[in-house]
Amino acid sequence: MAEKNKPVVLPCNGIDKEAGAISRELALLLLEKGADVICPVLYQSNPKRYQKKLESGKLLVIDGCKTGCASKLAREHGLKIAKKATVNELLKEENLKSGKSPVIGTEKLGLLPAWAERLEELEDIVAEEGGTHFKTPVSFRQFAFDKFIFKVPEAGYFFNENDCWARVEGDRARLGVSDYVQQSASDIIFFEPPEVGKELNMFDEAGSIESTKTALDIISPVSGTVTAVNQELVEAPELINSDPYVAGWAVEVALSDFESDRELLMDCAGYFDYLNEKVKKEYRKRYGGK
Amino acid sequence: MQVSEETFMGVPRKDIPWCPAIDYEKCDYCMECDEFCPHGVFERREGEEKKLVVAHPENCVVFCKVCAKTCGPDALSFPDKTETLELIKRLREDKRDG
Ligand code: SF4
Ligand code: SF4
Repeated sequence: MAEKNKPVVLPCNGIDKEAGAISRELALLLLEKGADVICPVLYQSNPKRYQKKLESGKLLVIDGCKTGCASKLAREHGLKIAKKATVNELLKEENLKSGKSPVIGTEKLGLLPAWAERLEELEDIVAEEGGTHFKTPVSFRQFAFDKFIFKVPEAGYFFNENDCWARVEGDRARLGVSDYVQQSASDIIFFEPPEVGKELNMFDEAGSIESTKTALDIISPVSGTVTAVNQELVEAPELINSDPYVAGWAVEVALSDFESDRELLMDCAGYFDYLNEKVKKEYRKRYGGK
Repeated sequence: MQVSEETFMGVPRKDIPWCPAIDYEKCDYCMECDEFCPHGVFERREGEEKKLVVAHPENCVVFCKVCAKTCGPDALSFPDKTETLELIKRLREDKRDG
C-alpha cells in the first residue's frame, strides 16, 4: 500500500533549459530520499499510471521557469498542489541566473543537495492561504444567448454592477470578476494584484487585469483589508478565462462591514437576472432591434 | 414601447454625476482615452478648439476610471468615489421612502 502523505514530486523536466534540467535533478535527489517522482511526459500520455501515488501522496511541483509547465500540467488534470517551488527563483536568491546551455553548471550542481533539503521542508500552500475556507464545491446556473453561454454560481457569491464578485465565508471574502467580464475581455494575459494589507472601501480598485483586447480594474464589492493575493493567478492570468469564479479568484480580504455592504449588492439570483438583461441590451445596441 | 431607463444600483443613471473631466490645460489630444474606452463616452471635434469632449457622460460606467491610466499628461479626473457612493445610498433611500 502506498504510504500516506508521502511526497510526490512533479518536476518540469524541460531538457532544453538549465532550469528544467535542475528541476529534474532536484526531483531525482528527492527520489533518493524516499519521495515518488512523476515523469511529466509519461503522465501526460498516461495519467492513470500515477493515480495511486497521487491519491495517497502530497504533491510537490517544481517549475523550471515562469512558464510554469509543471503547475499547468497539474492544474489541467485537477491535481491539488500541496507545495511548489520554481528553480529560477531559487537561482535568483543566490544571485544566479539560468544559463544558456541546458547542461547544469558546476557551481549550481554544488547547490542542489541544499535545495533538495529545503524543498523537503517547504510549507504547504494551503496553510498559507487560510486553511479550510473556500474549499466547498460551487455549482452553477447558466443561460445561453446567441452563441454564448454565461455561468453564474448558485449560492455564496455577491455581485456589484461592475460585474465583480465577492465569495463570502464567515468574515472572509475572495474577490474576482464574472464570466461576463471574462468573455467580453477575451484572453486575459496580465493580473496586477494590489498590495497585501491594502485597505479597501467598497468600489475601490482591488487589482487590475489586462486582456488581448482591453484593460480593467477589479472593483471591490466589499470593504475590508487585503489578506492575500492569488499567486497562481499572477503566474497564470488565463485562469480567469478557464475558471472565473473559483480558481480565478484575485484577492482575499478580511471583511470590515459586510452587513452594510450587502445591502448594495446583488445575490446570485439577482445577478443572474441582471446579467441576462445586460447581455440582451448589449446585443440590441450592437445589432439593432428591440 | 419606451426602452426602460438606464439605472445603476437601482438609481437612474442620469442622477449619478460619474464621468471623466478633461483638463484642457493638460490635454494634448493624443486621443488614447477615446481609443481605449469601448462605451462611447468621448467624442472628437475636428476643427474645434477643444478637439475632444465628454459628449456622453451617461455612458461612462459608474466607478470605472480605467481611461485615466491611458492618459500620459494626467488630464483626466473623476468625482470622489466615497461621495458618489453616499449620493447613491441617499437616492436609494429617497426612492424607498417614496
Ligand atoms: S471611466 Fe471607463 S467607461 Fe468611463 S470613459 Fe473612462 S474608460 Fe470609459
Ligand atoms: S488621453 Fe489624456 S491627453 Fe490624450 S486625449 Fe485623452 S485626455 Fe487628452
